[in-house]
Amino acid sequence: MRARITILIVKFIRAGLRLFGRGGSLPGQIALKLDANILKKIKYPSKIILVTGTNGKTTTNNMVYALMRKKYENAICNVRGDNLMAGITTLILNHTSFGLKVQSDCIVIEVDELNVPHVLKNVPVSTILINNFFRDQLDRAGEMENVVGKVGNALATYQGQLVLNGDDPNVVRLADVAPQAEVFYFGVAKNKLSKQVSDEASEGKFCFRCNAVLEYDYYQYSHIGRFHCPNCDFGHHSFYLEATDVDIDKQSFTVDGVVFHTPQDALYAIYNCVGVISIAKLYDISFLVAKEVLEGFELKDGRMEHFDIGRDCLLNLVKNPTGANEVMKYIMRDQEAKDIVIVLNDNVQDGTDISWIWDAHFDLLVDSQTKVIICSGLRAYDMALRLKYENFTGEIIVLPKVEDAIMKLKSLHDHAYVLATYTALQPMRTALRRNQK
Amino acid sequence: MKMKILWMYHDIMDLYGDRGNIQVLKKRCLDRDIEVSIDTCGIGEQKNLNDYHLIFIGGGADREQHLLYQDLVNRKQDILDAIKAHTFVLLICGGYQFFGKYYIDSNGNRIEGLGLFEYYTESNSDVGRCIGNIEIEADLDGEKVSIVGFENHGGQTKNIKTPLGKVIKGHGNVYRGEFEGFYNGQVLGTYMHGPLLPKNPEMADFIIKKALHKDYEEVMLKPLDDTLELEAKETMRKRMQQEKG
Ligand SMILES: [Zn+2]
Repeated sequence: MRARITILIVKFIRAGLRLFGRGGSLPGQIALKLDANILKKIKYPSKIILVTGTNGKTTTNNMVYALMRKKYENAICNVRGDNLMAGITTLILNHTSFGLKVQSDCIVIEVDELNVPHVLKNVPVSTILINNFFRDQLDRAGEMENVVGKVGNALATYQGQLVLNGDDPNVVRLADVAPQAEVFYFGVAKNKLSKQVSDEASEGKFCFRCNAVLEYDYYQYSHIGRFHCPNCDFGHHSFYLEATDVDIDKQSFTVDGVVFHTPQDALYAIYNCVGVISIAKLYDISFLVAKEVLEGFELKDGRMEHFDIGRDCLLNLVKNPTGANEVMKYIMRDQEAKDIVIVLNDNVQDGTDISWIWDAHFDLLVDSQTKVIICSGLRAYDMALRLKYENFTGEIIVLPKVEDAIMKLKSLHDHAYVLATYTALQPMRTALRRNQK
Repeated sequence: MKMKILWMYHDIMDLYGDRGNIQVLKKRCLDRDIEVSIDTCGIGEQKNLNDYHLIFIGGGADREQHLLYQDLVNRKQDILDAIKAHTFVLLICGGYQFFGKYYIDSNGNRIEGLGLFEYYTESNSDVGRCIGNIEIEADLDGEKVSIVGFENHGGQTKNIKTPLGKVIKGHGNVYRGEFEGFYNGQVLGTYMHGPLLPKNPEMADFIIKKALHKDYEEVMLKPLDDTLELEAKETMRKRMQQEKG
């Protein structure tokens, strides 16, 4: 009875919030207060896919959702990235009948890494997809080691499918602590962008089993690449699916003879796609359908958003070194003169520790074609110092207010780019729209 | 003039942007036409520590710190010799903890420290981690300087007779503590990341002077334009003053 009342309340609050144009995780938060075990009391569909990892999980999650909808029209998903317990509870309860049954044949949920244990304790997940583990918001999550450890502990009794990036040693090691799971690895073969050495912020240089230094046949980006331990069996796994014939300029790659196109031209995007294609194969969805889904997928939310401020301006979210490096590499492929705004905030959702900017390769921006960098946000000066000590040769301008930064950018004439941390994204979008032509 | 820096365990002890300190030291020397060499020293690498003006060790994750412990112990005599010969030592977080008597990590594992000093570190899960922006008033050989940074440590370091400075905002060596860091004229240990040096140019120059003093009697550092650095520090100081508590 208590569970039914809780569901009623959730729907009631949610309807109320919708009336005021708000969504979010408040209903779930209240539901968990009323009944902490509410999620254990309902009947679930047999197909529940959980997506987690550090970078690209919202994009990947939403691609998996688009894919699953082709087979299960009534699939549900936290598409807006409400990936903590309260947001997930809101999603599930809002689709639960008073007969305590989820009215959907498939649930796709993005889950914050530290919330994976809570979700697995409450929801009968059938498939887990893990992309990568990087340093991210260290002050919130503790050291990355701690994050991987917590996810690992939660897998001890997990009996479903585990779809892992086979080129990330920190992801691969999870197979060791998930003895009852059925493990599938995906990867990306060597290509034009692969390197013999990596100088980017690296995690897990050591074998998880024997502490020997891992060897790499090649690196893709950061510590992602084809690794193995010279001393034991770690890293000698076979791949369920692998992307070959990667052509980054054409944004294409091949899996099992089918040519796919990605919505983003970067290696991390190809990893996301191969993860999604692995789900298609596991759930018996044809590659042609998967191809159509990936090609039609529209990126949102701070991933290459275009604005017209008299000239094109590209907005990107940055939140950790690896993500920032990839965005900067992308920007620097443009060889014309350019001006860049970087908004660095240190609110809780951004991570209150901004030292990650020193692990990111801002040296990538140091180039005679980078004319002006405008530093903005709560930690604008820290960003300016980061560039100064990288011997940036262009002009550094500090304008802490986002609106001022955009006015300045608008007054310049080169190609325009904006990088913003999470809480700067929405104000930045508003400012850019206000300054549209 | 030439400044010789040894960055120990650069590949393991490199958390929270500590590498930025090296970048700052390097640029502030080069901008004054002081030559700089930066050597790195990993586990098992042969390096004569006494050859350097400055030894730097940053912070690392618990698991990784365990890996280098034995290597550091093997170098204890070399470290003592270098200090005796006036090499300056800058230690952040994990590096700082290693120079004390022992360190008990969050899982209760005890690691013996180098025991160069009387302080020791224990993790205490009851009080939680010391996380957040921090300001201290450091005492740099008698000169009082405001230093800002970011701390993030579970370890509580106790029994320090010569702290680096007084806590103005933040925790310091222990949860809600009064003092931060350790400094004895030759070895400077601190929990301050951020990294430490970009926003604290006075501290950076102090370290450069102290280090060069090993080989050069009179070290005069040409003033640099520190407008950005001091604005950055002032912005953080003002913010911390406005925050409650
Ligand atoms: Zn091994």
